[in-house]
Amino acid sequence: MLRRDSVFKLTMLLPLALLAGYFLILVSSQTAFFSLDDFITQLGQQDIRSAIFLSLIAATASTTIAVILAIPAAYALARINFPGKRLLDTFIDLPMVLTPIALGTLILMSWNTAIGRLLSDLGLTLPFTLAGVILAQFTVIVAISVRMLKASFEQVDLRQEQVARLLGCSAFGSFLQITLPLARRGILAAIILTWARAIGEFGATVMVAGTARGQTATLPSSIYLAMSMADLPKAVTLVVILIVISLLVLFGLRMITETKA
Amino acid sequence: MIKLKHLTAKRGDFSLGPIDLELEEGSYLSILGPSGSGKTLFLETCMGLLEPRSGSIFLNDKDVTEFTPEKRQISYLPQDLALFPHLDVRANILFGGKQRKLDDKLSQTRLSDLIDLLDLHSIIDRHDVNTLSGGEKQRVALARALLPGPSLLFLDEPFSALDANIKRQLQVKLREINQQLGVTILHVTHDQEEAFMLGERIAVMIDGCLRQIGSPDEIYYRPESLEVARFLRNQNIYEMTLTKIDHDGFLHLENDIKLKAPAFQGVQVGDQIAAVIRAEEVVIIRPNKPIGPELQDNLFHCVLEDILAFGGTHTLTVCIANSSVTINIELPNCAMRDFGFKIGDELQISLRQRSLWSIKMDTNKESTDVAV
Repeated sequence: MLRRDSVFKLTMLLPLALLAGYFLILVSSQTAFFSLDDFITQLGQQDIRSAIFLSLIAATASTTIAVILAIPAAYALARINFPGKRLLDTFIDLPMVLTPIALGTLILMSWNTAIGRLLSDLGLTLPFTLAGVILAQFTVIVAISVRMLKASFEQVDLRQEQVARLLGCSAFGSFLQITLPLARRGILAAIILTWARAIGEFGATVMVAGTARGQTATLPSSIYLAMSMADLPKAVTLVVILIVISLLVLFGLRMITETKA
Repeated sequence: MIKLKHLTAKRGDFSLGPIDLELEEGSYLSILGPSGSGKTLFLETCMGLLEPRSGSIFLNDKDVTEFTPEKRQISYLPQDLALFPHLDVRANILFGGKQRKLDDKLSQTRLSDLIDLLDLHSIIDRHDVNTLSGGEKQRVALARALLPGPSLLFLDEPFSALDANIKRQLQVKLREINQQLGVTILHVTHDQEEAFMLGERIAVMIDGCLRQIGSPDEIYYRPESLEVARFLRNQNIYEMTLTKIDHDGFLHLENDIKLKAPAFQGVQVGDQIAAVIRAEEVVIIRPNKPIGPELQDNLFHCVLEDILAFGGTHTLTVCIANSSVTINIELPNCAMRDFGFKIGDELQISLRQRSLWSIKMDTNKESTDVAV
């Protein structure tokens, strides 16, 4: 029996070890091209600093807009019954399954509609603008945000909201005083993950806003530019920055999800 | 206090009502029903958590059918208590006072009274409500429901997860709250003992409808339908034919056996009648003792077929001689020891007329009409 258990555990652990090894090879391969001197020199370059700055600004802005819209939308999907809810719930997932390049194409094409033209006339242009980067990232991450927040709201006991209502809370009061505080860990996790997804976004951003250095070149598109010009030190520097950001996000997420409620 | 007029609601395939009910101020009504009978749905509809399909809800003569839950001034203690885990014990209890914008002094006075009433001294300063025991959580949730000073308190199976001793202590507290604070209580439960112990009146809910409302004695001894009788664990129910109605007001019922039962209006010879007698109302005749006049009718010789022990009582199953009719008898342990019965013993029993209850059966449908 025990031996059989060992065989079972080995069968499960072996693929895990293979995956860990593969990821380790991917990350460590950077060391062959990495030198601290190059890294520091590269960090001093204007286009890299601009890419970091732009990525942080755009990811923070797109995440903020996405979460502000996703919180009520996710709550509505989690708690309110209305006709066509299942259809809408499925439709809202579309950006999650559609390739970012296709999403970018859709955004550009929508700018040729009456609404798009109106927005253009009002000064909201997309190519080679920060607005383009933010809109592309927003389009990619908002569905992830809704999905994660909906799961968080569903985990809040409906009965607690109902008791709060009967103790005198209005619907808004119950949402602000009971639902949001009880879903706070899920909301924080959703913010971190959508921000991480936004900062790594490439396909839709390139399609909508292009890769103008110092204007719309984010960290991922700068890596693409550096590699296409065989500038390995720059590409490695940018990859290392993204790895550090990703690891920080993962550790932050782990700390939030493992903290006792 | 609260008045329901023809209230109906629906969730999925389940329909509630129509329900008509009136509850006096300061009264205690137990709504008793099996699991899945619609008790929680009924409370949710009254509280405004579920929109009724039709009918009206009046609180203190005001139509509140369209009011949102917070405007109905009803406090609620749900089955799972729903304490707020992000708030400490004190903040949980004070939550309703804050929402209702009670004066700070009044909130603190009420808090202090509730701490005394519900013995919360040792837990009032606890930070994490998740560390409280089941009984402590129950008292905190009850205090939270009472702090705003509600005139109406709805309880949804509040003690179902507690052990027997703590349950009994809290049941006694609830009666105090009803009597001392004058809070009108509507308490739904599937626990018959709890419903009969606490309710001044009891309403039996089956399949989303209130089948009978009355005093505990009326519900216990005089069920108006077979469904109610069966739900209340009446073990002795006999479907019989009415063969004669006496001039002195008795029904003669016949099946495998013959019974003489008190008459009621609206029956005629040939009707199908269900004769009901509770197991603890069956009298065992002691051998060689004179039989009193009230025991003379409905005397039967029986053979003891089975004995089951239930803590403080025993249930005997006897078969009436020369028939296939079995009767269950409940005896306290002390009586059981006195008789010293064993399986196969012969005994004589009486189904007293005043203990018998008859229900006219509706032959057109499975359920029965009410017989009073």
